[in-house]
Amino acid sequence: MIKLKINGCEVTAKEGEFIIDIAERNGIDIPHFCYNERLERIGACRLCIVEVKGIDKLQASCCTQVKKGMEINTHSPRVLEARRINMQLLLANHSLNCTTCKENLMCKLQKYASELVIEDSIFGETQRKDEIDNSSVSIRRDNNKCILCEQCVRVCNDIQTVYAIGMTKRGVNTRITPAFNNTMKQSSCINCGQCVVACPSGALTEKSDIPKVLEALNSDKHLIVQTAPSVRATLGELFGLPVGTPVTGKMVTALKNIGFHKVFDTDLGADITIIEEATEFVKRLKENKNLPLITTCCPAWIKFGEQFYFKELNKNMSTCRSPQAILASLVKTYYAKKIKKDPKDIILVDIMPCTAKKYEILRPEFKGEADFVLTTVELAKLLKELNVDFQNLPDSEFDNPLGFSTGAGDIFGHTGGVMEAALRTAADLIAKKDLKKIDYKKIRSMEEIKEAEISIAGKKIKICVVHTMGAARKLLEQIKEGASPYHFIEIMACYGGCIGGGGQPPPHNKKTLKKRVNALIRVDEHKKIRKSHKNPAAIKLYKEYLGKPGSEKAHKLLHTRYYRKSYV
Amino acid sequence: MQKKESIALLNILREIQKRYNHLPEKEIKKLSKKTNIPLVKIYETASFYSMFSFKRKGRNTIRLCNSPSCYINGSLNILKEIKRILKIDINQTTKDKKYSLELTSCIGCCDKAPAIMLNNELIGNITKAKLRKLLK
Amino acid sequence: MKILQKSELKAWKKAKKLGPKKTIQLLKKQGLTGRGGACFLTGLKWELVKNAKGNKFIICNADEGEPGTFKDKLLLEKNPENIIEGILIAAYCINTKQAYIYLRGEYNYLKDSLKKTIEETLTASRSSLKIDIIQGAGAYICGDETAIIASIENKRGYPHFKPPYPPQKGLFGKPTVINNVETLANVPLAIINKDWNDSLRLFSISGNVSKPRVYEIKVGTKLGKIALLAKAKNIKAVCFGASGGCIPYNSNSIINAEHICKEEAMLGACSLIFINKKKSMLDLAINIAQFFNHESCGKCTPCREGNTHILKLLEKIKSGKAKQEDIELLEKLSITIRDTALCGLGQSCTNHILTALNHFKKDFKVR
Repeated sequence: MIKLKINGCEVTAKEGEFIIDIAERNGIDIPHFCYNERLERIGACRLCIVEVKGIDKLQASCCTQVKKGMEINTHSPRVLEARRINMQLLLANHSLNCTTCKENLMCKLQKYASELVIEDSIFGETQRKDEIDNSSVSIRRDNNKCILCEQCVRVCNDIQTVYAIGMTKRGVNTRITPAFNNTMKQSSCINCGQCVVACPSGALTEKSDIPKVLEALNSDKHLIVQTAPSVRATLGELFGLPVGTPVTGKMVTALKNIGFHKVFDTDLGADITIIEEATEFVKRLKENKNLPLITTCCPAWIKFGEQFYFKELNKNMSTCRSPQAILASLVKTYYAKKIKKDPKDIILVDIMPCTAKKYEILRPEFKGEADFVLTTVELAKLLKELNVDFQNLPDSEFDNPLGFSTGAGDIFGHTGGVMEAALRTAADLIAKKDLKKIDYKKIRSMEEIKEAEISIAGKKIKICVVHTMGAARKLLEQIKEGASPYHFIEIMACYGGCIGGGGQPPPHNKKTLKKRVNALIRVDEHKKIRKSHKNPAAIKLYKEYLGKPGSEKAHKLLHTRYYRKSYV
Repeated sequence: MQKKESIALLNILREIQKRYNHLPEKEIKKLSKKTNIPLVKIYETASFYSMFSFKRKGRNTIRLCNSPSCYINGSLNILKEIKRILKIDINQTTKDKKYSLELTSCIGCCDKAPAIMLNNELIGNITKAKLRKLLK
Repeated sequence: MKILQKSELKAWKKAKKLGPKKTIQLLKKQGLTGRGGACFLTGLKWELVKNAKGNKFIICNADEGEPGTFKDKLLLEKNPENIIEGILIAAYCINTKQAYIYLRGEYNYLKDSLKKTIEETLTASRSSLKIDIIQGAGAYICGDETAIIASIENKRGYPHFKPPYPPQKGLFGKPTVINNVETLANVPLAIINKDWNDSLRLFSISGNVSKPRVYEIKVGTKLGKIALLAKAKNIKAVCFGASGGCIPYNSNSIINAEHICKEEAMLGACSLIFINKKKSMLDLAINIAQFFNHESCGKCTPCREGNTHILKLLEKIKSGKAKQEDIELLEKLSITIRDTALCGLGQSCTNHILTALNHFKKDFKVR
């Protein structure tokens, strides 16, 4: 440990730590745009500059490592003046129409600009007229708002290894686009929305479905909504509640208040996914065929697999639908029949943490099932527009027959959760008895690749849990080479799993994500029933309607198939 | 050394640019497959450098130096003359696709200012007469 | 010129006799410093990399791009053998089997003859060193050492923050020596000539002069003497390339890094562009600002966005619509770019404005 001074105060740090991290730890938020703790440091935006005694030029605090005795000033008059000029330079090449921008009041550029007391644009405004790319169903790209912080490119290429977008041209002509100026739709984009989460300036935002949902709410259709596991862990943040506060009850009340006739729980879909997938796994394990089995609840990962590894991996992917797709299927068949309505008169809205879900519901295999997807962020916007006093709402329960879920359904929302839920059921199936073990804590960490060996009824099962597609690619390459040691793999495209999804409120730093994970773990621990196959609503469904897990009807309604996808 | 380290992308792109007078999308896609470098990474690199273009250029490229030494020795007069002879502006190509015209940064011929680069050749001490001869 | 003396592998043979350690000591003793603009002690750079473990690289920076500079071109044409021998010796001293020559795209016409020289030298020296030529493609920024590394790594020529410096973490993450062409050409001569003098450098003289060429001049010579050599008349100012800024002409000005620095300019790679009294420093500033706009890599905010507004402000002054506050803004902006840009290009791209405003205020008329 070494001692140094920041703004006159003595602080301690490890030798080699970066100034910006030490400052943050000591309550100093140095303005920054290109710095992200999980991405390669590039020192591009030059907003995080600080004064270091003895060094003539101002230093970028995100790329400068500390030495013993360093004296740093993060907010001296000289620093503020330079920071103000650099901010003015960014603003001069950015639309100043905040009031009509989607990111208004949520924008990092606004935040730091307002902190710098800027009262006039001293450089005038450059009217960039780049075309807005609205081609993707999940993501809207407006290069006129881009401040070239390169976060989206680093996330897409280094973390996700999707390589959909890159830096093109040079100097002030630099733009972030797919290759050959193709559209997002034509590119290899997997719709994960991590670029949306990373973007500090509104250049990348989710495609809005709020107007369509508003229209639906004002129609005379039967309105159903389902909510994904991780939404309940993060929605509260958008209403000022502390990070990691589960708001399930308030969320259900809010949705009822704005006009949904029934609020169903995607977690039930998750439980059914587990029942089907565990059955599938046990079968493959017995036959020693098509292993490792890979989970398929993540539509971004599925698109990735269909684009880059279809030939090699189609056989490994689980044919089970994602929880959302399972519940959507049941809403428009089982539920429609039950209430004697034509499925065409039912509108189903999904509240999802995920921008890729907007793409998933439009897959031809799922036609006519879920109608719209709103992300967590969109739901909050909608509730605010409809004047819902979220914080003061009482709790409500989900509606039957598709509202009851076990703890196993809740943990789908975080990395390792699907695997843990699957193991709870698979273990009972393999051992052919009700096992006591419920918790698989080893796979709950935030490491990108987590492996474990589980012993069930004398059988040794090797599992692996990965999140981010970059980490997943390593496993996929292994499988491609025929060298995979695993039986069962969980893949989540987003860091942290769905709690870090493209539709979740930023910031997505490790601290925030961990708190969200813990929220779901707590929800699970507080539930009486924590194994999917013990879900009474699920058991009833199978008895009344689906038959046995893996049955022909179950396959028709609850399973799907994949296709080779091309991209430019 | 790993395989990736032995790929000199700039040299390969130069050959493609030479052959086709631009970098065709098809060739870049082929290159991406061959080298296992993602398409967008090759595009990122290629679009950064002045000597690569994605739009087809003329069979001959005239690059007129407009850096300080040539500028104060009359580069703009030479530019006027080239525009007059070829009837094109900067960043344009003649109708018969024979010549493309560009302004360029210092080409290292400051002792022979004003100077141009005609394809691979550095030609200094450009006069109006010399131009007329070159661009006949 | 002394620099054109051919070593013909005499230095290579001597280096092999002395061994890496003693060769480096000799170079340190002779005081060989870099001639790319930074003037770092070459022997020390080699020593840092020699002592590092694992794979290492040597890169010859032949991306001469500073406006007004053409000395490396002369050496590549007239004494490539010395340059290759210098690379050979460097590789031997730091213990590497892989060298690169980053040859700017505009000098492509020299590639084939350079390749031939490499083959001949490697054969004659019986060295197993691999020397690959990487051809630049029109980017001034690739003269910066971290940008050259990015370029050879097949990426965009973006500079990287320092530290880490290339001798610590360079090409492909390994310790790397990057030396300028003139530096390497001097290596054999510094080894075989006892009377070799570091202060004798190649000066690229151009602009409003009758005898523009490369001159071999001792650093510390007075400006008047250089003006006489190049037959410069009626001179108003001397610019040190585009990035070094300018000084008003004074025949007594001592041309060395220290004195030029005192005048808030940068000697850099010893390129002098003479500007005569008929020229407007405002016009020149616009021309140089256009250069930096074209060559800015675009990575960092101050250089990318700042250079656009520098040009706008200069054009406003030219149009006669500028007020005093525009000059003040121009100055403030120039200082911010200088103080906060990521790399050497950004940090020096406003020297020409600040020095011109300082010495030639009259040329920047305001209402």
